[in-house]
Parts: sequence; structure tokens; C-alpha cells
Amino acid sequence: MKKRLVLFFALVLALVTGFTAMTTTTANAATDTSLSKVQKKGTLVMGTSPDYPPYEFQATVHGKTKIVGMDVAVGEKIAKDMGVKLVVKSMSFDSLLVALQTGKVDMVISGMNPTPARRKNVDFTHTYYQGGYSIVINKSDKGIYKNKDSFVNKTIGAQTGSTMYNESKKQTSGTTVKGMTSVSDLILALQSHKIQGVAMEKPSAQAYVANNKELAAIPSDFNLSASDTSASVAFKKGSTALVAAANKSVDQIKKQNLVNKTYLPAAGKYLKTNTVNTSMFHYWKAFLTGIEYTLIITVCSVFFGFIIGVILALARMSQGGAIKTGLRWLATAYVEFIRGTPMMVQVMFVYFGLGLIVNLPALTSGIIAISLNSGAYVAEYIRGGINSVDDGQTEAARSLGMSSGKTMRFVVLPQALKNIWPSLGNEFITLIKDSSIVSIIGVSELIFQSNIVRSDTYRGVAPIAVIMVLYFILTFTASRILNYFERRMQHD
Amino acid sequence: MTKPIIEVKNLAKNFGKNEVLKDITEQVDPGQVIVVIGPSGGGKSTFLRCLNLLETPTSGEVDFDGENLTTLDTKRVNELREEMGMVFQGFNLFPNMTVLENIKLAPMKVKGIDDAAATKRAHELLKQVNLDDHADAFPSSLSGGQAQRVAIARALAMDPKVMLFDEPTSALDPEMVGEVLNVMQELANQGMTMVVVTHEMGFAKSVADRVWFMADGYIQENNTPEAFFGNPQTERAQDFLSKILM
Repeated sequence: MKKRLVLFFALVLALVTGFTAMTTTTANAATDTSLSKVQKKGTLVMGTSPDYPPYEFQATVHGKTKIVGMDVAVGEKIAKDMGVKLVVKSMSFDSLLVALQTGKVDMVISGMNPTPARRKNVDFTHTYYQGGYSIVINKSDKGIYKNKDSFVNKTIGAQTGSTMYNESKKQTSGTTVKGMTSVSDLILALQSHKIQGVAMEKPSAQAYVANNKELAAIPSDFNLSASDTSASVAFKKGSTALVAAANKSVDQIKKQNLVNKTYLPAAGKYLKTNTVNTSMFHYWKAFLTGIEYTLIITVCSVFFGFIIGVILALARMSQGGAIKTGLRWLATAYVEFIRGTPMMVQVMFVYFGLGLIVNLPALTSGIIAISLNSGAYVAEYIRGGINSVDDGQTEAARSLGMSSGKTMRFVVLPQALKNIWPSLGNEFITLIKDSSIVSIIGVSELIFQSNIVRSDTYRGVAPIAVIMVLYFILTFTASRILNYFERRMQHD
Repeated sequence: MTKPIIEVKNLAKNFGKNEVLKDITEQVDPGQVIVVIGPSGGGKSTFLRCLNLLETPTSGEVDFDGENLTTLDTKRVNELREEMGMVFQGFNLFPNMTVLENIKLAPMKVKGIDDAAATKRAHELLKQVNLDDHADAFPSSLSGGQAQRVAIARALAMDPKVMLFDEPTSALDPEMVGEVLNVMQELANQGMTMVVVTHEMGFAKSVADRVWFMADGYIQENNTPEAFFGNPQTERAQDFLSKILM
């Protein structure tokens, strides 16, 4: 099974829990208003990581991609019983619990095991499904591998941060356990013989085997407690009223055996329609959405990054009194800090960290984070560009009576811009590629979309090849356009 | 008696420990053409640049039209700079703009003159410096002499009361010096107040009202060109004149 936060996210989580601890304890003292809040806004936002069929995955329904699966059915039932509308938000599995704690989502249903470690941070409902583990292998290896103990001196793969990953490590000896973020990557690694088996939940294993004739499933024979194989709905710590309401639905689901009777068969149907046509062309709409978001993020970030860059560059170059010295110091510190921390961490910090104060959508957060990041780099280019303009230009402008601001705006900056145009062009092209980082907070740009297509089609390489070509078309077009403007600026 | 347009009182300027200007007190009357000559490194350019505060004086004062520049705020200094055109040794034309745009920029952005009026005025000035056929050229395509004439036209576009020339012909090929000096002479004939730092002794002799001889951070001698070139008073000036070909 999946889940338990990866070490990598531990810092963000620790920070977030630190903040929320202060706010939630006071909230708990008062009456719990979590249910009435949800009913008041009329929607119940469910967070899920749709790369885990048949729990949750994306399917094309009437030409539109939507998230389906048994977990979505569970979510719909809970929302319906509360009398509100279900909104499904997709993001990477690692981000789900943070999103829950920062209020980005109201609940998480993503095949999540209610482990004791997780219970410390969130509240779980009763379990709605009791699963088990299988190991998926290549059909050609059937007979070589029987269960978890057959992989001595071999490699098993499991989703990073998941229960399976930890149990595979604990309960095997002489076996290497390889972790990857998405199950579709693991299947790809399996088919290219980088690993010999993939540990995953039984329903998922069945789905993969049913959809890919090259694969087979064997029992895992892991020794597991019930909490490691069951799935529950997670709510923010302290939302007693919501949990109680959801438990009513979950109990009904269990009592009527809805998962096995209705939800799983329905999900299976989507899986079938999903795999009827796995040609990349069939998914052109998904890729188009990816291009659209990649471009939105890039263009917005270039625009705001440039403005931030100009302001930072001017602040860094300001001379004079205490205020200006302070400004210069601040700008320098900012540039150094941004350049000294990974963009991925900045993206997560803006989405989750800033999310404690204002609830920003993922796309906005991504644009903010990338603009802030790009601004630091652009500032350095601009500073270099301004320094490259001859002092005589400034003197000529000042001698004509132009203020320092007008001199900068009408004389120095246009020339600086021309000098640094190639560097800015590089930054633009880098941003097209770097925008892929926001896939971790669930913005449907190209990388994110390709992952979805990969888990939908069970094809590992083709979507990667497609986005590779798409990225190249984007960057190549961009560099042609930039060259055109560069030529137009050549006067001397 | 007319009021002086520029008055310099006990002006001094240090760059670190290097005292470039030591103690200068002089004045310029409206309509006067002052030519500042002297050996290189004597502080001539620094002196000129102190007049419009491109260099901030270390001590002393510079009065323009009765206002002490060193005590004014930046905004007022900017306003007064409009009235002091400056021409540089290296032209300092804006390379990303055409000749016409170079001239129009400051009138439009500083004085807020509309495009049509600024264009009309720019063409007039280009005719004055004999370059109207180059209005749409970029500076990189101009010869040094042409570029410097455009720079003069650009400074004149702000309708200044005074023109400051900082070695305007020093960067030019010899055959181009004449065309620039001619423009300057015409300007002097029209009654423009001018302070010219130059090594062109012929120009000093024929155009200057006063010659200021500057060396070692002081104005050593302030005289009419006839008196200065015919009968220099100080030993420093005699020494300087004996070393240059007349």
C-alpha cells in the first residue's frame, strides 16, 4: 500500500504541523465546526493521487478526462450523505496529508492505510476496504518467483513512502528494494528488467495484470497487521463532526459490501474503456491541456519574474541612506537565498506554507513560486546588463535634465535589455522546462499529464517520448521567436 | 552690470586623497564664451562636470542663475540641468535610437512636449547642424563629426541657457574637427553662453571672450585670448604655451 510521508517532505510537514498545532488546539477547545463549515460552503473537497487503479485513476469519459475509481465512489457516497457536492482534487501522493493539514482539501481518500504514525497527524474513519498485497512480475518469470522470499539477490520495487516499501525492506533479506514515486514508473522498470517484481495492493495488481498481457501477479505473503492493509478516509485532526458523519457512510458501505459489489466492478469498466485505445493520439486532449498549463505557467512566470527581477536589480544597485542600504541588503539576501534553495522546495513552501495564511490554488501557487524564483535569477542578469551600459549614457541623459528614474527607464534599461536578451531568452527556455516542477502540487502541466496518460494506458515510454517532442517543439519555437526579436534590436 | 549666469565660489573636488580641484572662484556672464585650456590632468573636465553637478563638489558652491546647486534637492537640480546643455568627448548618443529619437527623447520625456512639436523642432536643429538628411540613421552609421553635431543638436533641443563642451573634438579624426568647430562658432555668434574645454587653440583665439588657463587644480590665469596668447602672465602658462604648436 501507499503512504506514510517520505523523509523529503518531513520538513515541510513538521513546519506545517508546527503551525497547525497552535491553531488546532485552540479550535478543539471550542465546538467542532468542521461539518457545518463544509455544509455551509456546499462542497466536500477530496484529495487523491490518481495513479493507482482501481482505487483512483483518470479515465476518458465522453472525450473528457476525469478521475474515477472506487475511492471516488466512496467519496461521492460520503458527500451525498452529507448533502454536499464532491470536488476531486488530484495531487501527488506525498503531498496529500500536507494538503489536508493546510486546508487545501477537506478529506483524503487515496487507498490510505490508517497507520499509527499517520493517526498522530490526521483523524481516520472506520476502514471502508480491506485489501492485501501482491507482487507483480513479468509473465516470462512465472515459475521463478513464488512470493516475497524468492527475490534473494534480486530487486523489488515499491512506491516510495508507501507501507509496501517499508514492509518490503523489513520483511525480506538479501533483496534490494527500489523506491519510485509512481506505480507506472515501477511497471516500466519491471518491463525493462531493471527490477524483478513490484509490490502493490491486490486490486491494483489485478488491474495491471488484466490490462497488460506481459505481466503476472503472485502472492506477497507479507506478514501484515490489519491497519497496514485496510483503507480509510482521512480528515484533518480534530474534525470530529466530519469524521462521525463520514463514518455513517463508511459503515453503510461496509454493511452493504458496496465496494466489492458496485464500486470495483464500475471501476473495472472504466479500466476497460481506458485500455481499448492506448494510442497516444487518443490522448491528444490530455497533452493539449498539459501544453496549455505549461505555457500559462511559463508566460506568467516570465512576466512577473521579469518585474520582480527589475525591482530586485534596482534595489541591489541602490546607493545612499539607511533605507537604501537596507533595501540593498534585503535584495541581496533574497537573491542568495533563492539561488541557494531548490525550486521544488520553494514550490512546496509557497503552496503548503503560504497556504496556512491564504488559500491559494495550486496553479497560482506554482506561478508565484516560479516567478519568485525566476525573479532572483533575472535580477542578476539585469544587474549585469545595467552595469554593461556605458556610464556616458547615464551622464548624457542626466545632463539633459532627465531624473535618475527616467534615465533608467528610457535610456539604460532598453540598452541593458538588449545586452542581456540572450540570457533572458535562456531563462525563458529554462522556465518552460522547469515549470514541470509544479507537477508535484498537482497542476496539470505536461509532466503531470504524461504521468496520468502513463498510468491510464499502462504504457511507460510512449508518453515520455511524446512530451519530449512537445517540450522540444515549445523550446525550439520560443528560441526562434526570441532570435527574431534579437535581430530586430540589432542597430549597432 | 549684468548678473553672472554661473558663479563658482571656492570650489574644491577630491577623488579620495587626490585633490583635483583646489580652490576655484570664477564667474561666467550671459553671452560669454569661456574657453578652458591647460595641460591634461589639470582638472578641466572635472571642473566642467562640477558645473552641472555630474560631479558633486567636495566643498565650495556653484551658483546657476542665482541658485546654489550644491544645496538644492535632486528635483530642482534636474530642472536646472535642462538649462545647461552638455556635449561630451565621446558623444554619448543613445545607440538604440535614431538620430531623430535621440534629439526628441528629453524634450518629450522631461518637458512633456508632444511628438509632432518635438519632431518639428528636432528637424530644425538638424538643419542647423547640417544633418537633416540623417534624421532616421542610427548613431553607429555616423562619422565622429556627424555624431558630435547630433549630440550638440540633442543638447540644444532642451533650449539651454548655457552650453558646456567637454573636449568636443578630442575623439575626432582631424578632418572632422572643422565641421564641429564651425557649428560651435555659429552657436557663439548667435549669443549662446558657452564654457568649452578644448585643446583647439585656434578656436580659443578666434571665438573665446575669455581664456581660463587651468593647471594643478587652480585657474592660473583668466584673460582675453589676445592677452593670454600674446603675453601670458604666469610662468605655468608660458611653459604650457611654449610646448604646444601654435
